[in-house]
Amino acid sequence: MRPTLPVVAALSTLFLLAGCQRETAEAVALASLERPDIDEAAQPDDVAFHVPEVVVVDFLDGTTKAEFDAIEQEWGLDLELAGEEEGVDSAITVGTFQGDVDALLARIRTNAKVEAAEPLMRFSRSFVPNDPAYGKQWNLKMINMPKAWDRSKGKGVVVAVLDTGVAFEDHDDFRQVPDLKGTKFVEGYDFVNKDRHANDDHGHGTHVAGTIAQATNNAEGVAGVAFEAAIMPVKVLDHFGGGTSADIADAIRWAADHGANVINMSLGGGGRSAVMEKAVDYARKKGVVVVCAAGNGGRGIVEYPAAYPGSVAVAAVGPGGQRAPYSSWGKELDVAAPGGDKRQGEEAGIIQNTIDPEDVSQAVYASYQGTSMATPHVAGVAALLFAAGAKNPDQVEKALFASAHPPKGATGWTDQYGHGVIDAEAALQALKKLQGASDVSELLPTEVQVAQAEPELEASDISAFAYGALDWKPFAFAAAMLAFVLLTLGRKERPGYLNVFASPGFLIPLALTTMGVFFVRWVAPAGELSTSFTLPIPDWLNKIIFGRGSLANPLVYSALVPTVLSLIAIKVKGMRQAVGGVALGFAGILAYTVWAKAPALSWLPFTFLAIPWLAVNALICLFVARAMLKRETA
Amino acid sequence: MATTKTGTVRFRDLETGLWLLEADDGQTYLLAGGDRKIKKDGARISADGDVDAESPTLGMVGPRFVVKQYRFL
Repeated sequence: MRPTLPVVAALSTLFLLAGCQRETAEAVALASLERPDIDEAAQPDDVAFHVPEVVVVDFLDGTTKAEFDAIEQEWGLDLELAGEEEGVDSAITVGTFQGDVDALLARIRTNAKVEAAEPLMRFSRSFVPNDPAYGKQWNLKMINMPKAWDRSKGKGVVVAVLDTGVAFEDHDDFRQVPDLKGTKFVEGYDFVNKDRHANDDHGHGTHVAGTIAQATNNAEGVAGVAFEAAIMPVKVLDHFGGGTSADIADAIRWAADHGANVINMSLGGGGRSAVMEKAVDYARKKGVVVVCAAGNGGRGIVEYPAAYPGSVAVAAVGPGGQRAPYSSWGKELDVAAPGGDKRQGEEAGIIQNTIDPEDVSQAVYASYQGTSMATPHVAGVAALLFAAGAKNPDQVEKALFASAHPPKGATGWTDQYGHGVIDAEAALQALKKLQGASDVSELLPTEVQVAQAEPELEASDISAFAYGALDWKPFAFAAAMLAFVLLTLGRKERPGYLNVFASPGFLIPLALTTMGVFFVRWVAPAGELSTSFTLPIPDWLNKIIFGRGSLANPLVYSALVPTVLSLIAIKVKGMRQAVGGVALGFAGILAYTVWAKAPALSWLPFTFLAIPWLAVNALICLFVARAMLKRETA
Repeated sequence: MATTKTGTVRFRDLETGLWLLEADDGQTYLLAGGDRKIKKDGARISADGDVDAESPTLGMVGPRFVVKQYRFL
């Protein structure tokens, strides 16, 4: 039949559009490996510390071996004294039992000779640093540091601190602060004075560096989060605490090129800078986690650079876990961390060793509050994650976000706390889970691995394949636009108001385009294949061509597909109704996207172009739909 | 650009300590420039200077206002 030819032509156009990325898309379709369910990151659970099948029975003091040997026979296990050196007086015994330990213990406890009986528990004492003022660091306990240190201390990771400099060396009249003695440093750069000595002439950067890697367990001062990591001091702010976007952008690239794994920027403000945004992007592509302060304006605006897509934006909370009043918040927020709330007193700030801003020749232990103080906690935990084997920023961020604790009453992301207050121990556990899965995927072809590592970090992504809620709004938009189209047609050209809706040749393409095969969600279990059926056609196209999690492609979200189809329909009259449905569906989706202010289109250089692009294309779709639905007036 | 602002000087215990100008136009500026005598919490001033909305700072509370000259009201 003739009509097949144009259809083949249309399909090949689509695949041309896909270009070289098609291979990846196919590979993704082949690999149906489920991503790990890191929602269920293992929580510390007392039972986990029970030694299976082993019970401890404490008899009344003075009970002899002969006595308990006689008693134990009715319980069916062999008890031995736990420690020879304690002597028989304590009469604490240990025995192995296969079966229902709880029932056994209940039986044992009824014996008059028994003081106590319980499962054997293994205790491992967390590392407690000997720094004298460690007890004042409520912030480190809040993010579960003592436990996390058993897993990672940040060894081998480089954290660049882009700030006012760091009091890291004795040079000229600069002096290293005492509690950075023993901290590792790699060569940094001073972008303000253009030399290799990025010393601090303000006091801010040294404090921030201290939170990350203060010398710890050195019987001096306080502790830091990732104290075995190395600090790269990079000075971008002058002695008043101001800097230029050009210097900062340079410094970001420099740090990424010189071996930084994490960049901490406790700075912000100024306008959006394309130069800085590109630098952040560059660093992230090189595998660097970029962590930035959300800002101190106490308002619903996340400052740049925190608001750039490539950076992790950090809000501040006080000792109670409530967002601090000064902390900025908003839609770009990623996580919260302790930044202090000095309304509750000086001790509710973050204390680190630094130089006195009022007399920079003096070293002090200062208690500060600010989103600057929250940020290095996250950078420090990122360093712990890299040291524990995280391979890229995606893994680090996923582990951080999935393990963060949302505020009471919330379950996921909020604009006040992002994913929640970070938890170093839980993040390390989440990473382990993530890696358990990625170790398997390392056996897969590279392009599959890349495609798996790429997806955007959306909260919805974490739960692998699940049906999204049925979104009928694009359909509603399309229906409203249909009414408009029909009204603009003359009486003779009009196919009839209800006739159109009643005709499956129109309605089915319209529903497919706006809602996908929506009823699949009610009949089939969620899987890669079944969930893709429920996607509206543009989302589905974008997914198979560019891969799951990629940004919406402007060519897919345009009038291209309806237009190409309509060109075919000029020759093939039978297709017209169906093409009308598709075109109207596209118009509905594009208009809905504009209305929802949701466009995140790839390629388009400026986000402000996205809305006009979608709007114009929606209009073209409408025009196409109108032409398709118009009746021939012979 | 050069402009004149009137407002109240404020010290805020944020970060390493910030000196702000809560201007009568409703905007909060991070004070820069001027001499050290301008650091007087609660003082009303009128100041000539430049608004710098481009530079990132460690204060992160608003644009910088670089004072050229000022007088107490």
